[in-house]
Amino acid sequence: MSLLTDEVRALEGRTKVYTAPEPFGAASGRYFGLAIGDANPLYSDPAYARAQGLAGVTAPLTLVCETNQYAGLPMDHEGYAGHTWDLDIPNSRQVRGGNSYTFHRRIRPEDVVTATWRITSVTEKVTGSGNAMLIIGSTATYTNQDDELLAENAETIIFVSLASSGAEKQA
Amino acid sequence: MSDFPETFVDTFVDQASIAVGDVVAPLERTITLTDMVAYAGATWDWHKLHYDTAYVAEKGLPGPIVDGQVYGALLVEMLQDWLGPQSFVHQLDFTFRNLVFAGERLRCTGTVTEVGADRISVEMKVVVVAEDGSDGRAAAAPARAVVLLGTPDGPGATR
Repeated sequence: MSLLTDEVRALEGRTKVYTAPEPFGAASGRYFGLAIGDANPLYSDPAYARAQGLAGVTAPLTLVCETNQYAGLPMDHEGYAGHTWDLDIPNSRQVRGGNSYTFHRRIRPEDVVTATWRITSVTEKVTGSGNAMLIIGSTATYTNQDDELLAENAETIIFVSLASSGAEKQA
Repeated sequence: MSDFPETFVDTFVDQASIAVGDVVAPLERTITLTDMVAYAGATWDWHKLHYDTAYVAEKGLPGPIVDGQVYGALLVEMLQDWLGPQSFVHQLDFTFRNLVFAGERLRCTGTVTEVGADRISVEMKVVVVAEDGSDGRAAAAPARAVVLLGTPDGPGATR
């Protein structure tokens, strides 16, 4: 059973834009470093960061790709308060494919980040066991208040059909 | 209790001597439920999958799930700690393979695959450490990075 309906195909090109309500702040980067166990002083010591040639402290690189902080969305019934595409693909199981990040420069505390998400591709494949597999490709572009490009993030979400050859089957 | 390091080890590889086949200094980290709560707070991702033991039990999962983006953060940390502050991870790709649960120990490893005038490419993976200390199931693989050398910031830095 194909998952690639006209409705799903029409998702391609869909865009969502989120702008943070405040500058990134030095505390965000310092806290993220603590949370992942990264004791690098680039995230906590301005004098060390300046001695390396930076303007001051920065944040661990992947934090800019965590967009919940920009979204300003209400928490849903599972506690999630971030960007989603609200995709409801019946009779399927969702899995995450992977991420491809390009970092253009380090985050500065004064950066006010805008995240622009776009669905770039909607394709279908068939698994080795004969199940339809819907692959949603999307990108996020992160810019600041001066329209400087900070980072890009290409993400893949996969929906695997739970039905095969007309028979219900757990994927 | 978390095994996160409290101090930063500031001895780095000699970037000029890096050659294809060199092994990146590996990074290992046990991700406790407390660490996961801290990560959820730092990223504003409060999905119950990452901390609510009753919720995940209802879903038939063996424990709260480590946020997959943690793997990316650890891979950047591994590269940055090996190369020092005069380096910048410009590109990072990884494919998710298996779920990781609270209390499991992750091992990040990497090998240099290309060396250019101002950058290197590294092939990496993140695995769960098995009970006998060997590489267990893959969390993220393959993973690849391009790292700029001799600079603390990326090509988009204009000041």
